[in-house]
Amino acid sequence: MFVWLENSTVGMWVSSSLWAYPFLLSVHIVGLAIVVGLFSMRDLRLLGMFGTLPVNTFSNLGKLALAGFILNAISGLLLFTSQASIFVTSVPFLSKIVAITAGMILAHSIQKKLNDDISSSTRILASISIACWIAAIIGGRLIAYIF
Amino acid sequence: MLVSFAESIVDSSLTQWIQGTYWLWPVMEITHFIGLTLLLGGLIVIDLRMAGFMRSIDPATTHKLLPAVIFGFSLNLITGILFFYGDPMRYAINIGFQIKMVLVLIAGINAALYHFKVDPLLRTMDRNLASPIVAKLVAFTSLGAWTGVLLLGRLIPYVGTG
Repeated sequence: MFVWLENSTVGMWVSSSLWAYPFLLSVHIVGLAIVVGLFSMRDLRLLGMFGTLPVNTFSNLGKLALAGFILNAISGLLLFTSQASIFVTSVPFLSKIVAITAGMILAHSIQKKLNDDISSSTRILASISIACWIAAIIGGRLIAYIF
Repeated sequence: MLVSFAESIVDSSLTQWIQGTYWLWPVMEITHFIGLTLLLGGLIVIDLRMAGFMRSIDPATTHKLLPAVIFGFSLNLITGILFFYGDPMRYAINIGFQIKMVLVLIAGINAALYHFKVDPLLRTMDRNLASPIVAKLVAFTSLGAWTGVLLLGRLIPYVGTG
């Protein structure tokens, strides 16, 4: 199935076009900055940083983070098609996907708790969340180094 | 200028150490990525508020994010200098790197203009009013320049010499 994906029209376009792969990587890093940028600021705020900044600033920004996620789901899927059979056995890649899934589930729970009355359970969710996003970055970068 | 500087450091012991330490490059890349999320994450909030979004939030409170922005920038300045030392001749002649540095410079001048000229002006204004045009200009220049920095940075391995 993954070999089929690589040989599909889309997979061939991403891997053979001169600019498709670098273009998708560039889009992917903008999405990364939006998603991990906003979520890490939100988590650090929940953990007590940034003093008077209202926690509900980040409920306003939930939609933007989601837009960044969709951008990266699409660019990521297209990047995946070009070397699907390699990615699917890559430990860093699979770890990255697990970390992102956990991070997005946590984002969904945290989104409902964004008010200035921060409970200790919300703080625990925020610290797991920030660890997930750091793990996603480490995993993503190591795809190029560990096969 | 960049090339002659690169030539002067290419045989330095720092360059040799970076090239000879096999785990260092991926660790620096991961640090650079974490730095960019802190830098951009903070700036997205600050700049969107400055541009007039999220009107219910006091803009002064978004400035509490600045330490994260400055910390992220410092991480990336340090790792960035180390990348350059690690492969000076490759970066010095790379058009992607050169444009990226110009954009960082534009973002820096924009930040200085904001700090010394625009911020003192905004402090005297009623925050419930629409953002003045100069604030919008500074905010979108910042977001635009940093987005360009991200795009160009990612393209360095794929673009040629300039």
